Amino acid sequence: MSAVPHEVTLARPFQLGAGAQRALIRIATGVVLLVAWELLVRYFAPPFVARPVTVARALPHVLANHLPPGTPTFWGAAGATVTAAFEGLAIGLLAGVLVGLTMGRLRTADRLLRFYVSAFFAMPIIALVPVMTLWFGYTGTVRLAIVSLGAFLPVCLNVYDGTRSLPAHYVEVARSYHAHWWNVWFGIALPASLPYLLAGFRLAVGRVLVAAVIAEYIVSLKGLGYFILYDGRTFHQPEMMVAVLFLALLGVVVNAAADVATRRLLPWYRRSE
Amino acid sequence: MSAIEARAPKPRLIAPRSVAGVLVPLVGLAIGAGIWELVGRHTQAASFAPFSATVKALWSMTRSGELPRALESSLQLFGAGLGFAIVIGFFGGLVLARVRVLRVGLEPYILMLYATPMVALIPFILSLFGFEFRAKVIVVTLFGVWPILINTIEGARSVSADLLEVARSYRSTEPKLWRHVIIPYTLPYTMTGIRQGIARSLVGMLASEYLLAATGLGNLILIYTQRFDTAHVLAAVLVITLLATLLMAIGRAIENYFARWKAGV
Repeated sequence: MSAVPHEVTLARPFQLGAGAQRALIRIATGVVLLVAWELLVRYFAPPFVARPVTVARALPHVLANHLPPGTPTFWGAAGATVTAAFEGLAIGLLAGVLVGLTMGRLRTADRLLRFYVSAFFAMPIIALVPVMTLWFGYTGTVRLAIVSLGAFLPVCLNVYDGTRSLPAHYVEVARSYHAHWWNVWFGIALPASLPYLLAGFRLAVGRVLVAAVIAEYIVSLKGLGYFILYDGRTFHQPEMMVAVLFLALLGVVVNAAADVATRRLLPWYRRSE
Repeated sequence: MSAIEARAPKPRLIAPRSVAGVLVPLVGLAIGAGIWELVGRHTQAASFAPFSATVKALWSMTRSGELPRALESSLQLFGAGLGFAIVIGFFGGLVLARVRVLRVGLEPYILMLYATPMVALIPFILSLFGFEFRAKVIVVTLFGVWPILINTIEGARSVSADLLEVARSYRSTEPKLWRHVIIPYTLPYTMTGIRQGIARSLVGMLASEYLLAATGLGNLILIYTQRFDTAHVLAAVLVITLLATLLMAIGRAIENYFARWKAGV
């Protein structure tokens, strides 16, 4: 495992530079993309395929829950997915911080667990969804388990990396003031690895959404994944697209929140370049 | 660039020097296999299989040719999807880095797609492209392309002005500038993107095997789960884990190789 947080390096989203001109270019590009989507689908795809006009028409119906009887409701589905995602994030965050700190501070724990954590981190955890249906039945527990695991791994690895790159003199100073081990763990190592923790959190958000949707597809749970699958199969693509857009929005908003949190909570943290 | 990024990693020894550094991980693996065996023996065969049964299943699937065929099919899908992702991400990234209007215009949409869980689009892709190999390759590419694209743009934009000035002052032509300065400078960034793309493409591979035409390793997992044959399911999961670990190690090695090159620039 390297000491680099497992996250992509991105341009800071939505940076306001030479304001109006940028905004204009972006809106124009958006319009071009939408028109291209509309025309391509209208003339080259089967009539049931979603295009911007039909999605826009479906949007108010979906948001107001005016759907054909028997179909899953949008807000019920969104609530179920978002709740499971946040529960999983909370569990994964807590467990990830504890295990990551332990591995970072105790060499034996590191050596015992490193192999498992990095193997599980590398593998696509959705491989475990089918076998989890044998363990937990076709229930929401499968989704919660897979989502928690998806959040746990990146957080754990990043906290571990952050703790490992703790400058040694921090610990030396603390020791010379008779700090207890818990002071070092939670008073020094944890705050020092917060930037890593946030990087892990951002990665966790993406994994959690993918894991939740896949679990809902396979287990047929009430949620956005099942909503998408159901509407896709019953040729209600515009309704389906609303749910896809909601998921995209969710990903963007949580990532932006993590960005703001980094700037607000960690003003002392500057990128080294 | 994201607000969060690692500081320069401290070089750490890959090979543990002490005896404990070799022994303890082995003990850890042995404990893991032991727990697996014990849990497997004390639960119903339909929910968990012991380690020994899993190894036996692995062996029988290998001998019957079932596993090699599945592995080959999965790797073809993964390779094709990742290949397209690399080509599109790299060349698309270079173009976007160079053409300001396109970059500024597309940036928010690219970031949005990067944050979207691509699995949500699988039913849409199914309706447009069917469920055969072509559709699955598109899914894998859609999973893998974004980090490659974003990192390439980032790399191509951060070529140092000094390098460009020196090249220009030696009357370097535009194609030569690209070949000798911009592309070599960008490659390490692209490699970071490719490493991340490998992990995401693997998820895409499995997701498309689950949800479109069932083939390869994903199909193995699905059919043996339906038969409540946990030994075979766990064997397939084990193979995927080993494959993923191997691919990530390769990705990391390539990335480190190019990072050294970058440090030398």
